[in-house]
Amino acid sequence: MQHYPILSIVTLFLGAFLTVIFGSKNETVRKFIALVASSISLILVLMLIKPVMIENNVIQYWMGNWRPIHDWAIGIGLEVDSLGLFFGIIAVVTIFLSIVFSFRYTEKDSETDKYYVLFLMLSGSVLGLVFTGDLFNMFVMIEIMTFAAVGLTAFRNYQEGALEAALKYLVLGSIGSSLVLAGTITIYSQVHTLNMAQISALLFNNLTPSTLFAFALLLAGYSLKAFVVPFHPAAPDAYMSAPSSISMAFSGMVNKAGVYAIIRLVYVLYHAMSFKSIQLLLIIIGTITMFVGVTMALAQNDFKRLLAFHSISQIGYVITAVGVSTALGLTAGLYHALNHTLFKGLLFLTAGAVFYATGTTDLNKLGGLAKKMPQTAAVFLIGAFSISGLPPFNGFVSKWLVYQATYQANLAPVTIVALLVSVMTLASFIKVAQSIFFGQMPKEFENVKEVPLSMRIPMWIMAILCVLTGIFPNFVTKYLISPAVSAALNVGKYIDIMMGNGYAEKILGKPVEIPAVDYVLAGYWNPVAWLVLFALLLLAVTIVAVAGGFNTASLPVDGDDSKYEVFFGGEANEYSHVKGNDLFWGLKYDLRHYFGFMHDAHSGIINDYALWAIFTTTIFIVYIFLLVP
Amino acid sequence: MSNNRKVKDVIVKTAADLFTPIALVLGFYIILHGHLSPGGGFQGGVLVASAVILIYLGYGYSEVSKRFNMEFIKKNEALGAILFTVFGLAGILYGSVFFTNVFVGIGNVGDLISSGTIMFMNDSVGYKVLTGVGFLILLMIGLLAPDNEN
Repeated sequence: MQHYPILSIVTLFLGAFLTVIFGSKNETVRKFIALVASSISLILVLMLIKPVMIENNVIQYWMGNWRPIHDWAIGIGLEVDSLGLFFGIIAVVTIFLSIVFSFRYTEKDSETDKYYVLFLMLSGSVLGLVFTGDLFNMFVMIEIMTFAAVGLTAFRNYQEGALEAALKYLVLGSIGSSLVLAGTITIYSQVHTLNMAQISALLFNNLTPSTLFAFALLLAGYSLKAFVVPFHPAAPDAYMSAPSSISMAFSGMVNKAGVYAIIRLVYVLYHAMSFKSIQLLLIIIGTITMFVGVTMALAQNDFKRLLAFHSISQIGYVITAVGVSTALGLTAGLYHALNHTLFKGLLFLTAGAVFYATGTTDLNKLGGLAKKMPQTAAVFLIGAFSISGLPPFNGFVSKWLVYQATYQANLAPVTIVALLVSVMTLASFIKVAQSIFFGQMPKEFENVKEVPLSMRIPMWIMAILCVLTGIFPNFVTKYLISPAVSAALNVGKYIDIMMGNGYAEKILGKPVEIPAVDYVLAGYWNPVAWLVLFALLLLAVTIVAVAGGFNTASLPVDGDDSKYEVFFGGEANEYSHVKGNDLFWGLKYDLRHYFGFMHDAHSGIINDYALWAIFTTTIFIVYIFLLVP
Repeated sequence: MSNNRKVKDVIVKTAADLFTPIALVLGFYIILHGHLSPGGGFQGGVLVASAVILIYLGYGYSEVSKRFNMEFIKKNEALGAILFTVFGLAGILYGSVFFTNVFVGIGNVGDLISSGTIMFMNDSVGYKVLTGVGFLILLMIGLLAPDNEN
């Protein structure tokens, strides 16, 4: 059991290296290696659920057996607590489903060995990031992650904009990595250790200007990796140009790695959530993120670009809820992180399926695909309902928790913004559903077929998980979320496990209290009742529909009646699909100043985006210097 | 421009002839003695890879592209990484944890073979770096090469 975390990381990296040697010629071999590596990793991580999540152990693992000497950490250690494992589970599920999906999805691409090599490196680095207990190791992993992600963004380099997107990601990602590195070395110069448990103990009640400066740099760097708003502009381009299985991995785990790092930083490393100003900072950037993300999404005309902006917006929910910093808020944030992985992964997979079948994701060219791709349309609707927060799907639960957490923390304006954002999310998914799956079908898509089984299976798994996490919130909360929440809040245990019992008490100078986590929360809504209601409604509609009998012969059938004759019923209707652009034009017209401003702001010039990133970092530094202690 | 002319510079060529073996020997020495003396796999690997640049300076791109098989180098880089992982996993196989140094007792302290698997890990890093950096250099000078030589 002790070796599972390191083995799950090593397997993925080893799979990547083996693909280079054996997978460069044969397609089957590289698929086999990728499948085996990701399944082993999935199984190893899932086997950790019992000891870590249920029995509440924390796994500590000193590489090369270099244990602390005289209470001083000298080696690199892995520390897997429930918080790390929670994000680890999210990552491995995403990896596995994405790999299965990409088998058929990438069949038209050449040189897929490079795809699998980079994908396995990306996966291994995310797992390494969430399992490590060493600050510098986090930097190394985030660096591997960024470069693998940049390579994968440019994988379809024949597509317009792929190389440009990769360049943007490269520049902004490097700024993020540099900020993280600068923050890490500043901390190291102050406390002379890189072990996160020890740093956490030494920084308690001991914040100097240098460590605050490091905090601002690390917060900005990891926010850039999570693509919160002023740092976001690389994300839509990258998500749009990357293959859909990669976009799923980006929003499912690369984003989440940044979120994980932020939670680890503010809760564990700096104990910063006791400061009102840090809570406020996270809530402000989270609220801005969710609002800007969703309004930008409303104005998009490309399926994947729209999903990318929604991804940014949903990360805003997570950051806001994490910033509320009560147990309820953290529960809401982690639950929404889990749900976001599921439904956004599902939506990106449907985008991939649409692209696979039709060759485009442009909302103004598509239409009426539900007849040709019924299963894709069905899972898309599940994903769209989930992200819009309709009961009984999972988005409802976590969004409800976010509303409740923000409202109970006396942040009613934030609750209102969150509700508005949810409404706009629903609106933009009505637009997507109308322009891709419903309405009239353009002539050129008449021969479109449903995607193959190996692409449908991951989509259905994601869809079923979306429904299950929506119907059984108590179960999910009990076994996944609340252990992770208590791990994030119980810093003393995190320190003690790594540095030896009693270390935290000695350094912190007081007994380590274990915060009581109160879970009388998700009972405000009962999913089963809603499910029964929906079933009843469905039954009623069915009864009404069949009450007239199944005899439809009396109805006029198109084509053989006089309806279309000239001078009688007019002419046969021409192709008149309502395009994605045509919906919500009123809203867009009313808010034209805002949209015009956002349009001008997203200039597409890397220099501007780099300037935003640096400017926001400066604001973080000034804010933290002025307001924190 | 200068890319198009035949390389006939005797001084550069002689210097390349002279320094290539030195770079190779020094590089391999540093890799092999990484556990005993300053330096190690990375530093030695970069030194060995610099031999590619020396050959390029002396003989031009056509000679370099004849001598080196990039596909082969790429696979050997992965081999270095795999070897490193396997030596790391040896720690688990021998009942301890990942990256544990096993077979420590063999040999006298200060001998070449004396410090267990850490030496072989170092050598794998050296192998990975010399192939990896060598591949990068080949890639870069391949981009510098004029089209008619490709």
